[in-house]
Amino acid sequence: MKNRVSIDQLALMYLLLVTGGKFLTLPSLLAGDVGHDSWLSVLFSFVWDGVCLCFLLWAIKINDKSKLDIAAILDKSLSKPVSKALMALFFVIFVLRINILLSGCYKMFSVTFDVSTNWLVYVLPIAALAFFAVSRGFNSIARASQIVFGLIVLAVIALFVSPLAEVDFGELLPIGEAGWGKILLNSYTRSFWFSDYIFMYFVLDGIKIKKHVFAPMLVSFGVGAALCILLNGVFVALFGYLAPDFDLAMSKIGVFSAASTANGRWDWLTLSVWLISVFVKVIVFIFCAYKCVEKIVGAHFVKFNWIAAGVVLLTLSLPMFVSTRTLLDTVIKWGVIPFTLVQYLLPLLMPLLTKTAQRKTEVKSE
Amino acid sequence: MKISFDKISRLWLGQDDFRVRELNCGANFKAVCLDTMCDDAKVSAFVLQPLAYVENAQSLDEIERKLAAGTGVRKPPNFFAAVEDFTNGYTLIFDGEDNCISVDTRTVIGRSIAEPPTSMVMRGPREGFVEDVKVNVTLLRKRLKTPNFKIINLAVGKYTNTAIAVCYIEGIADKRVVDDAVQRIQNVKTDGVLDSSYLARYLDGNKTFLFRRIGSTEKPDIAVGKMLEGRLAIIVDGSPMVLTLPYLFVEDMQSPGDYYENSTMTTLSRFLRFVSVIASVLLPALYVCLQVYNYQIIPLRFLITVLNASEAIPFSPLTEMLLVLIVFDILREANLRMPSAVGISLSLVGAIVLGDAAVQAGLLGAPAVMIGALSGIGLFTMPDNTLILSLLRLAVTFVGGVMGLLGVIISSLAILVYLASMQDFKTPFLAPFSPDIPEDRQDALAQIPVPQMTQRPKSIPNENKSRRG
Repeated sequence: MKNRVSIDQLALMYLLLVTGGKFLTLPSLLAGDVGHDSWLSVLFSFVWDGVCLCFLLWAIKINDKSKLDIAAILDKSLSKPVSKALMALFFVIFVLRINILLSGCYKMFSVTFDVSTNWLVYVLPIAALAFFAVSRGFNSIARASQIVFGLIVLAVIALFVSPLAEVDFGELLPIGEAGWGKILLNSYTRSFWFSDYIFMYFVLDGIKIKKHVFAPMLVSFGVGAALCILLNGVFVALFGYLAPDFDLAMSKIGVFSAASTANGRWDWLTLSVWLISVFVKVIVFIFCAYKCVEKIVGAHFVKFNWIAAGVVLLTLSLPMFVSTRTLLDTVIKWGVIPFTLVQYLLPLLMPLLTKTAQRKTEVKSE
Repeated sequence: MKISFDKISRLWLGQDDFRVRELNCGANFKAVCLDTMCDDAKVSAFVLQPLAYVENAQSLDEIERKLAAGTGVRKPPNFFAAVEDFTNGYTLIFDGEDNCISVDTRTVIGRSIAEPPTSMVMRGPREGFVEDVKVNVTLLRKRLKTPNFKIINLAVGKYTNTAIAVCYIEGIADKRVVDDAVQRIQNVKTDGVLDSSYLARYLDGNKTFLFRRIGSTEKPDIAVGKMLEGRLAIIVDGSPMVLTLPYLFVEDMQSPGDYYENSTMTTLSRFLRFVSVIASVLLPALYVCLQVYNYQIIPLRFLITVLNASEAIPFSPLTEMLLVLIVFDILREANLRMPSAVGISLSLVGAIVLGDAAVQAGLLGAPAVMIGALSGIGLFTMPDNTLILSLLRLAVTFVGGVMGLLGVIISSLAILVYLASMQDFKTPFLAPFSPDIPEDRQDALAQIPVPQMTQRPKSIPNENKSRRG
């Protein structure tokens, strides 16, 4: 089965997804809102993510026997129209997240690596790679992630360690200066960047469980969350009150340690390695968006669904017409509440919905 | 179809090497053979001499009993089997009623067993497979003195009728893999199979156009080593290359001599091979995109040296590097097809005269030539995939030159996804790294001492996990 994935592969992939993309524009945006307490916002977001992840893992465990896919679970437990509406909502989330990730990378390449090109020329090769990966199956994406995993984690650690000598952690004090209410509110309004577990909805039917479900996933979540919180802390501690002005956190974080031109900007090479995790995230989200279209349209092709691919490809041209800033403002203003439905409410209901769907399937087969 | 002397003689009518001998051993019998395929001494010793003084044989059964000296005497079950035996060099003896027996009188033509030129080792056995399927089976059986060593004989090719021997160890090899391989060979519909590489293309379930998915070896000790891990060895008559399957990418990093050396040294060599292969593919691309887009990454003094060396070059860094790589590929290709004596001269002319002259003339920069040469040499650490790696290197360099680091990342990921998606005979190509099988890492890139390898690899389907019985 092309989309079959083991729980270990899922855990490694989840770690890449947690770390991928969170060090582009998010740290400076958070620093702009809550100052040096941004790392606390990240921490609270991860706490809620952890709770939802546990419920989703519970659902995965329940679903191990029946191996129902997300559409089947929602169809059977909530009805087909609701299921399609939720799929549409998922699709919007994925498309927006892909576009914001890609525009972050686009900026990174044009600012840091002096590669300026138009959006279409930039996005088409990435889309080609993503659709190639989708056509080869989720399994190949998971396996490829497994290969690059060690390298990416090393790169993230190197990026975190390299500026440590210059960091003044005193900048993080006093804790909670921005006000706990504001910190919590920010962790909610920026939730769009979190809840990376949502991709698991779309591989529910292909997850191969050996012994443990919770342990590998929670370890991977814990490591990913710790790295994100630490890097946010290091970023704010490094740049202090200037942090909101440095909008591409990852490319700036190594600037002091590698400032000597005699040694070259080796941190950019590690940055490039980290970028692989962003592309993995984009590929995974494109796979999910593709699956959403398949479920909504109801068209399934044996090898590759050109309709779904076409729809997803069209949506990737969004930043050509709307600026990333507008896109982000729209998400925060209008998207947060509806997105909460699938990001935070649905995982809590998933065990119940899975059981209901299983019961209905059993009744039908009897 | 009924076996018939008339049909056989009609089919070979007018052929100079078609021999018929009337034998009067009581009743009349006819012995036929193809002179070019038979050994005269065997025909004489196993057919003619034993029957010369027989005067009272009335049936083929009695004739068969008289041919006790012949080791391979059998009754072909049908006409096609009789024709197959006949074309392989058996002598057919017909009675008056169109029954026949075949006697093995095949001639052995071919080179003797020698050290294979493609797999030379410092230590370890020096025997290599030859073109004869029977000799090759003997070389395997000599090392596998067990009744569990099984051979399934098949023939492929409408005109060549090439003998194929599927060899495996019963109780170790997964029967489903054996059945799958046999099924695929039986489904081959072709005019002829001239070498095992023909068959490899039919056996590749993924129809891979880049990396090879079926292993091959010229050394019987390697083939047996692989069979002991649960793989099959497929011998094709006329080819000294024995196919092994299932095949893993990591096998490309392993060399025949690895198991006869110290495991620490083997581990170091394998890592070196791995690093050189990765560097060979990525180095030219990285050099170009660092020079064009991301020169800040290069240390200042190194950057100044590179810029000084390449400032007068009339080409862009991408064109310059592509030129170097293409010239290298042309030299390599020409070198392969030249007689060895001329080949050495050609290498010298290519490497020293051409490279040096190009640098002196200011057409190519010395750093580009050095990077190209380094990358080219690195490719040979994986000799079976040199050509494909060379093509990948050109592609990645081109994409890297056009798109910078973004291009290098995208193309590397695409290659990785492609490799990760390949799976055949229930074996993922990138195992034991992806999917991760920790137990199998004992003999992947790193190697633990052979006595500590107590388990067979899990990546290869097998029926007996323990290497100790």
